[in-house]
Amino acid sequence: MVGWSGTRKAVTVLAFILPTLLGVILFNIYPMLYNVFISFTNRNQFHPNADCTDTLSSVIEPTCWAFTGAKPPQGLADPFRIISPLLDNYNTLMGNLIKPESLTSLLILVVWFVPVIAALWVDRQQHRKAQRTIPTGAIWLAALVAFVALFYLLKVGQNLQQLTDSGAFFAVVFRTALYVAACIPLFLLVGLTFALILNNEHLPGRTFFRVALILPWGVSTSSIIAALVWQFFFREQGTINQVLQALIISYKPFAFLNNNFWAFFAVTIVNVWMTYPFFMVVILGALQSIPKEQYEAADVDGASWLTKLRHITLPLIRPAIMPAIVLSSITTFQMFGTAWAITRGGPIQGAGKPGATEFVMVYAYKQVFETRAYGRMGAFAVIIFILLFVATLYSLRVTRITKGAYE
Amino acid sequence: MNTRRLGPLLVQYVILLIGILFALYPLWFIFLASGRVGNRLYSVNLPGMFVPIDWTADNYRTMLFEIPFLQWMKNSLIVAGTTTLACLLICTSAAFAFSRFRFRGREAGLILFLAIQAFPGVLALVPQAQILGALGLYGSRLGLILAYTSFTLVFCTWNLKGYFDTIPIDLEEAGRIDGCGPVQSFLLIALPLARPALAVTAMFGFFSGWGEYPLASVLIPAPDAAKTVPVGMYGLATTQSIPWGLFAAGALMLLVPLMIVFTYLQQFLESGLTLGGVKG
Repeated sequence: MVGWSGTRKAVTVLAFILPTLLGVILFNIYPMLYNVFISFTNRNQFHPNADCTDTLSSVIEPTCWAFTGAKPPQGLADPFRIISPLLDNYNTLMGNLIKPESLTSLLILVVWFVPVIAALWVDRQQHRKAQRTIPTGAIWLAALVAFVALFYLLKVGQNLQQLTDSGAFFAVVFRTALYVAACIPLFLLVGLTFALILNNEHLPGRTFFRVALILPWGVSTSSIIAALVWQFFFREQGTINQVLQALIISYKPFAFLNNNFWAFFAVTIVNVWMTYPFFMVVILGALQSIPKEQYEAADVDGASWLTKLRHITLPLIRPAIMPAIVLSSITTFQMFGTAWAITRGGPIQGAGKPGATEFVMVYAYKQVFETRAYGRMGAFAVIIFILLFVATLYSLRVTRITKGAYE
Repeated sequence: MNTRRLGPLLVQYVILLIGILFALYPLWFIFLASGRVGNRLYSVNLPGMFVPIDWTADNYRTMLFEIPFLQWMKNSLIVAGTTTLACLLICTSAAFAFSRFRFRGREAGLILFLAIQAFPGVLALVPQAQILGALGLYGSRLGLILAYTSFTLVFCTWNLKGYFDTIPIDLEEAGRIDGCGPVQSFLLIALPLARPALAVTAMFGFFSGWGEYPLASVLIPAPDAAKTVPVGMYGLATTQSIPWGLFAAGALMLLVPLMIVFTYLQQFLESGLTLGGVKG
């Protein structure tokens, strides 16, 4: 709206946003602040209760709020307190990463990605020019060559191994990032294919297919059963092995879940099965906003379906599906139930080392339930949050989804 | 039949068929498990994985008549339905404001909404339960509804904002010439045109409130009659045995209201809503 300002504008805008803002503050921001507070304390099984005489605790801890009538829990144990080296919890988790060897390894990893970032930048520069001087293919070829060359020159493989050995933290985060990078393109591919097909009004039986294909999303609400069923498929006496045995004479049952790669693959497939309906629905919704005249005009010019897809459909649904992609990446990063139910953290790779499918939340769960170290888990949550926050900010820059209708 | 269109149509049906197999075989497996004698989830003999051998409806009978499953279903329906309505009411206005208005803190607000999702939700459970307890909502469905609505706030606002962005601003400017204020252009112009996105929001709200277990188990652990379906079902598991047959039957029966809601909502995923509104 133009031409309105001052108090009237402020009040109206606030009225529109207030309910959502309140909900977010109460259910998202407060728990975050609470966890940050806990991460600076030594709360664990020996110090489970809050000390309500301390001013900070009495404000943040709900069990200390007198007005609700809640009585602070009494117990024989010491209450938890803010710990003396304040960042002790963080140090325990990430200490090994701050050593010089690890920092150099991290630096080498960053340098390894420089060709890719440079290629993206050069590509965008060229795209803006009136006439390209360097074709896209050449840019990406050069980037690929530089990428592979740097891999050997900088001994990236060795450095990665060194970082993974330095402590569980890097290994777990790296593995989870890999998992997200594997899942998201698959979600998009499957969801996009089905949404495109089911968008066609002249397809007989369209409603039936839509309902049938959405069912995995429905079952995933009782996700334990679905995950266990899928786990059975991959077992040695499970469906996949038995079917292959029946079809191929000399086939020996293969223990999928004991193999690092296949366990990872299994968890990815199950995640795709559970999440593609969500993407299908979001893309279907976004597809409705494309006016039909665009396709008709393209038909007049003789465009093939691939051209129509690349130049009309994909750019136009982009603003509507980008938030889903970003939010889904964040949710997949924090996924717990599926990985736990299928592999319980994956084939073990050695005592004290996280398993092949031990993702961030599985790692956190194991730590909490083995040692009940709530303080340390609060610190872990804060670190993960900072990582994801930075990644999200960067992705917002790249995808430009915060632009409003006027921009 | 128009033979020119037959080729692509056939390819589409093949893809859909593969999709159906991929999507539905695990469900068929659960169906087989729900009828298996002895409460076993698996059967190691190959035909038993594909065809119903010794299938009985005992588990369904137990679930429906001896266990307060229908009572739990009623609770879940109330919670999920109210969550859907609350989600629609709350998120649409915020999404419209973020898309259309220009105000200080607009971008910051959007980024905040996105970034707070980065906090691991599982670890936020305890403070959330404590807040709901402090508000006096322990053991009440209203507490669950509030919590579930807050889970959906961020995604629904963003999704709706993205959809509002694709509605041409010319329509609202034309309305403003006729004297529409911000609230009127929201209610009379933007909302009716955003039906597909509203349907997606409603679906998301319903699905979020339908099968959630961790928060519900903390907030409404007892009595039996007040539980929602997941809490009730998993409560059937004892330390000696886990009744997989009952779980399988319950999981499949849980799907029925979901299918009904989805079939109703998916008709709104229609296009051509902004056709002919304003030229150019």
